[in-house]
Amino acid sequence: MSAGKPPLSGGPPRPQVKALQCPKCGAAIVLRTFGQAETVACGSCRAILDAKDPNLAILQQFEIETSDIRPLIPLGTRGKLHGTDYEVIGFERRHATVEGIPYPWHEYVLFNPYKGFRYLSEYNGHWNDITICKDLPSVEGGFSAGSGSAANWVGETYKHFQTTEANTDFVLGEFPWRVRVGERATVTDYVHPPRVLSSEKTDKEVTWSIGEYMYGREIWDAFRLPGSPPEAEGVYENQPSPLTTNVQGIWMAFAAFAVFLLAMMIGFDLLAKKEAVFQQTYHWERAKTAGESSFVTDNFELKGHPSTVELKTWAAVSNQWMYLNYALINQDTGQAWDFGREVSYYQGYDSDGSWSEGSRDDTVVIPSVPPGQYYLRIEPEVDPAVSAISYSVQLTRDVPVLGIYGIALLALLVPPLLVSLRWYTFERSRWSESDHPPVQISGLTASSEDDD
Amino acid sequence: MTQPAANCPNCGARIVFKWSSSVQTVCEYCKSILVRTDADLKKVGRVADLPPDGSPIQLSTEGIYRNKSFVVVGRIVYEYDQGAWSEWHVMMNDGASAWLSEAQQEYAVSFSSTTPNLPAAAKVEIGHEFTWNGQRYTVSVITPAHYRGVQGELPFQYWDKSDVTFIDLRGETGRFATLDYSDPEPALYLGEFVEFEDLKLKNLRRFEGW
Amino acid sequence: MFRRLYLLLGFLTLGTVAFGQYRGWSLDSIDQVKNVPKSVRDNPGSYRSVYSAYHHYTGGK
Repeated sequence: MSAGKPPLSGGPPRPQVKALQCPKCGAAIVLRTFGQAETVACGSCRAILDAKDPNLAILQQFEIETSDIRPLIPLGTRGKLHGTDYEVIGFERRHATVEGIPYPWHEYVLFNPYKGFRYLSEYNGHWNDITICKDLPSVEGGFSAGSGSAANWVGETYKHFQTTEANTDFVLGEFPWRVRVGERATVTDYVHPPRVLSSEKTDKEVTWSIGEYMYGREIWDAFRLPGSPPEAEGVYENQPSPLTTNVQGIWMAFAAFAVFLLAMMIGFDLLAKKEAVFQQTYHWERAKTAGESSFVTDNFELKGHPSTVELKTWAAVSNQWMYLNYALINQDTGQAWDFGREVSYYQGYDSDGSWSEGSRDDTVVIPSVPPGQYYLRIEPEVDPAVSAISYSVQLTRDVPVLGIYGIALLALLVPPLLVSLRWYTFERSRWSESDHPPVQISGLTASSEDDD
Repeated sequence: MTQPAANCPNCGARIVFKWSSSVQTVCEYCKSILVRTDADLKKVGRVADLPPDGSPIQLSTEGIYRNKSFVVVGRIVYEYDQGAWSEWHVMMNDGASAWLSEAQQEYAVSFSSTTPNLPAAAKVEIGHEFTWNGQRYTVSVITPAHYRGVQGELPFQYWDKSDVTFIDLRGETGRFATLDYSDPEPALYLGEFVEFEDLKLKNLRRFEGW
Repeated sequence: MFRRLYLLLGFLTLGTVAFGQYRGWSLDSIDQVKNVPKSVRDNPGSYRSVYSAYHHYTGGK
């Protein structure tokens, strides 16, 4: 047995962060991925170097228009995603051109030596947490550029949102693939909020990735960044709907309430006594009522709990009107309900045929009349053209008022309508950015398949 | 069960075999490849330094596969046009020998199979189907590779190979098979893809700063 | 959160409707007048000028 322990000089070196020098400008290059990066971009001289080459051979040199492109999450920052710490090791800016306008976005490469690589994308304040798919999705309904109308992955269907060409403008840090400024890929996004399934196609290969939407606040918390995240503008393709209420759920609640309301309506209708309390027919003559036209009826009794009292007026008007001032007066308490009702009916013929307007009867419901002894005071006013007319007055106690159910239904309808409207405008906003924008209301274009 | 121990014939360092049926091991100190004969250890060659890599797995990493624990005892490193990959030799707790392959962060566990009548490499094309042990496999990748190095204990002699061909096949529900043409007689390994998390690996490599 | 608010609104609405049906609420607007004297029974004409807040001009008295 050998005495002492010889140094373990022969085994593979313990992985260390490598500090090297850029062969072009001498700036410090740090490799943090323990040999897993393919390329690394020098932050000072914009050279892309071969990270697997001990001499860091130069692969590409690029220029940028502004020196102002800076990652929102600085390289080297560590953050916790899904319970694992990741370090930001790479950053790139890409853009797609739609109708002549370039739309840039940013991607971050994250690394954990035990979990591998992960990516973050950021566009207009919207973030996505992205990993490469291990299982391949299946695409349905193929059309242009090899993309389909939908894609299926792990039991979910994703709808086609957009196919564009992505161009790489700027890179910084390490990448697990051979990145080049100016490289192009056809990117197709399929969405199933909050997720997005993306295929990236170069002439060499196709890569599928799955992204999950993240809010700027979550990113800032995960990476403990100072200040506030940039505001999210508009609705992003896989942004989850902010409605905490399920649209379907609220409509189901409405349906349940509507059924309940209907049951109440039927129930109260059955319970209502609808007692006939007073009925009288009168004959009015102008000559006889030249002095005081008002009169009072005999007493009648209202029994039971306070209830509605329906007053029905009928008058034999023909192209005339009649107006009755009513007062329902409690004999003992002196309480009265005072109102006037008009009965008018007109009819005739013209070029369109016969017409009629108004009605010979009128109904009014007096609310919450307590029990007791009552009489009616009636004061008729009659169309000057009439000299005599018959009319009848009928009182019924405890009748149901259906109009209240209508109001209740409308009140219950407002919240689900508002929720649906909000959901609808949100989704419209989402899809207006896609290859399948919703139909323009002004009638300019129908949903078109713009290829960008 | 005592672990057989011996001394390295080249440098005298103590060699301990974790697996009783190991045929070959590598002396960690002098990088000599040692083959076990009935009597003693024989040096057959020397292995060059393995390329630096970021694999989190190392010798004596432990894990669980299908409710059986295992220990990583050896390794073969291959290189191909897109980089390198490792075949880790693992010892299951029931004494069986298995392989954990690690390529582009995809992991698979497979076991040696004694199926006869394996096809010659030249006759196999992508898309061909084979049925072994009642399972259907379709050829997915043909990889010309070359041997890069070995580490630890292996159940056979394996060193200084030059170019070898590997043919990978995929079956349903994550099943995986490999035809290994390192030797004149093809060897078949049957297994399945596994998720890194499901292996519940312990004693992983330590990375600076992590 | 909104779901709970809506359920609350729904139950309040249904409860109010039930209460209203029981108490005899109606949709028509009717003026209430208090303290109508018993003399109106014998002299209906005296009612109109004094006790009614509602006034309909008849072009007469």
